[in-house]
Amino acid sequence: MAARAPRPGPAVPEGRRSRGAEWSVTLPSFLWLVALFVVPSVIVFAIAFKPATPYGGIGEGWTLETIRTLGNPNYPAIVWRTIWLSVVTTVACLLFAVPMGYFMARAPKRRQNTLLLMVIIPFWTSFLVRIFAWKMLLHPEGLLKRALVALGLAGPDTQLLYNPWAVLLVLVYTELPFAILPIYAAAEKFDFRLIEAARDLGASPFRAFRSVFLPGIRRGIVTAMLVTFIPALGAYVVPDIVGGPSSEMIGNKIAQRTFVDRNLPEASALSALLALAVLLPTFGVLVLNRGRDLLAPKSENSP
Amino acid sequence: MTFPRRAALPVLALTALTALALALTGCSKPQPVLHVYTWADYIQPELIRQFETQTGSRVVIDTFDSNEAMYAKIKAGASGYDLITPSSYMVSIMNREGLLRPLDHAKLPNLKNVDPEYLAIALDPKMQHSVPYMLTNTGIAYLKSKVPDFQASWSAFDRADLGRRVTMLNDMRETIGAALKFLGYSLNTTSDQELEQARDLVIRWKRNLAKFENEQYKSGLASGEFVMVHGYSGDIVQVQGENEDIAFAAPQEGTSVSCDDLVIPKSAKEVDLAHAFVDFLHDPKNAAANSEFIGYLCPNSASYPLLPEEFRANPAVFLDPAVRARSEVILDLGDENRKYTRVWDQIKAAD
Repeated sequence: MAARAPRPGPAVPEGRRSRGAEWSVTLPSFLWLVALFVVPSVIVFAIAFKPATPYGGIGEGWTLETIRTLGNPNYPAIVWRTIWLSVVTTVACLLFAVPMGYFMARAPKRRQNTLLLMVIIPFWTSFLVRIFAWKMLLHPEGLLKRALVALGLAGPDTQLLYNPWAVLLVLVYTELPFAILPIYAAAEKFDFRLIEAARDLGASPFRAFRSVFLPGIRRGIVTAMLVTFIPALGAYVVPDIVGGPSSEMIGNKIAQRTFVDRNLPEASALSALLALAVLLPTFGVLVLNRGRDLLAPKSENSP
Repeated sequence: MTFPRRAALPVLALTALTALALALTGCSKPQPVLHVYTWADYIQPELIRQFETQTGSRVVIDTFDSNEAMYAKIKAGASGYDLITPSSYMVSIMNREGLLRPLDHAKLPNLKNVDPEYLAIALDPKMQHSVPYMLTNTGIAYLKSKVPDFQASWSAFDRADLGRRVTMLNDMRETIGAALKFLGYSLNTTSDQELEQARDLVIRWKRNLAKFENEQYKSGLASGEFVMVHGYSGDIVQVQGENEDIAFAAPQEGTSVSCDDLVIPKSAKEVDLAHAFVDFLHDPKNAAANSEFIGYLCPNSASYPLLPEEFRANPAVFLDPAVRARSEVILDLGDENRKYTRVWDQIKAAD
């Protein structure tokens, strides 16, 4: 795009950069966002205000009827389950990822690369295959189950799969790398001499960790929270495969409305609700973060 | 309501290649072409070659994976298909919308072979616009070694002694339908009271279930993860090849029977050839070869004696006539479907 426009070198000061060049750099990602995010979202929101036809079509005219179906008395239980599973997934991921990020950042450089590789390796296998692997691991005749029975920790009829706990376990498993990476990225830039300084000034190890390290990697933590909480909210495949008859999440309901009930407007209304539930906290966090950054003293450790 | 088919990418690719090769080489002499729109792997390939030689025509196969997708395409005005194989409920919808051509029985002498017992419960018993092609029914499959004292009744889902290693279909019409059958009602009922009773029954059954599942129950049963599943007979015939311990039973209260039908759309160009193909598929020898290949049953009485003994003895293929008389075809209920959706939501939300 606009390849002939002279590209300013890195040495050109910010203020003198030409508007045209700025546009040519921004335009591809802007178009991408508009075509693949804004337009589809607007379509989803619009369909939520359309009537449905019995054979899966979208009717003429506009209606508020579909929005009223969001008052379905069966939804609160599903919404509540979706929220608690997502919150607990996020908290569990952070509990694992913060120590892991700290440990990785403190490791020697070569070891860091090995550890990073180990976090990334699971991505080489299809997401779906990894979930099916959990079905094998938790199989009622599987090794783990037999070991638990032998140790007296489970009865022969205990079901490891097909309950909300299995959904939680696999959600934490799938989201964990996404939490580790931003926390590691932040921790890697953290100046660990600050912790030594805190210790020298009499802080206990825990106090130094909590008051110096955690605020220092705040951006990493916020990113980790967003990238685990948001996908967990929209989870559909995990509860579908390892969930039981009472582990439905909003994603499953949207799938049912789309594929089984053939009611696109109701599916759209649910999707719009989910999109709002994701967008509002994200904007909130972004605005909050920006405000804090403006207020924060320049000397604070920030990249 | 649709039942899953075997994946058939290689077959598809081959068909496409053959079609291409024929298109490139066969330009010299004009040859009638029959366009068939059907499920993947749904006609024995040898039969197609036979038909092509017999009639000097060419058969081009295009596939769909859901009735709704097929319907959307035809409704949007796609023409050029001469023969389609939708499920019965979709055939009624298409007929109501005026998309189908009435059949000329004079060109279909083999219709005398179609099983009258099936026709008695079919949606188009006089075969005015559709001819039944392949039949499957829903039932209960189980592991003989893990389910003692199995009774062929929907009440099997009340058993708490199976350690929740049990699944029912994640299909509101099938699963609510099973409960309706158990209660002695029609699985096409629109009575709120009957649906509420069925709802409470499914909620009771749900306590014994691992999950509602449409696909994984096959591999789950074969691997011993599940010991009893609610599933489609055609699927069970396929996994029986993997695990000898699997048995199938149709509940005595009656069950749901699904049929895919042969229909000729209004927009068909090769109407005579399409009739000839329908008649060809109901030739007893061809019908038997097709049933054996697909694992479903072509409801063609004259073909039954030609099927291998083992195939005929399999209750997943042949529904007991007494049970069949109590079984029903799932109808499309149009707006009344909402009642089932509401009950299904309540079932899913219940603890």
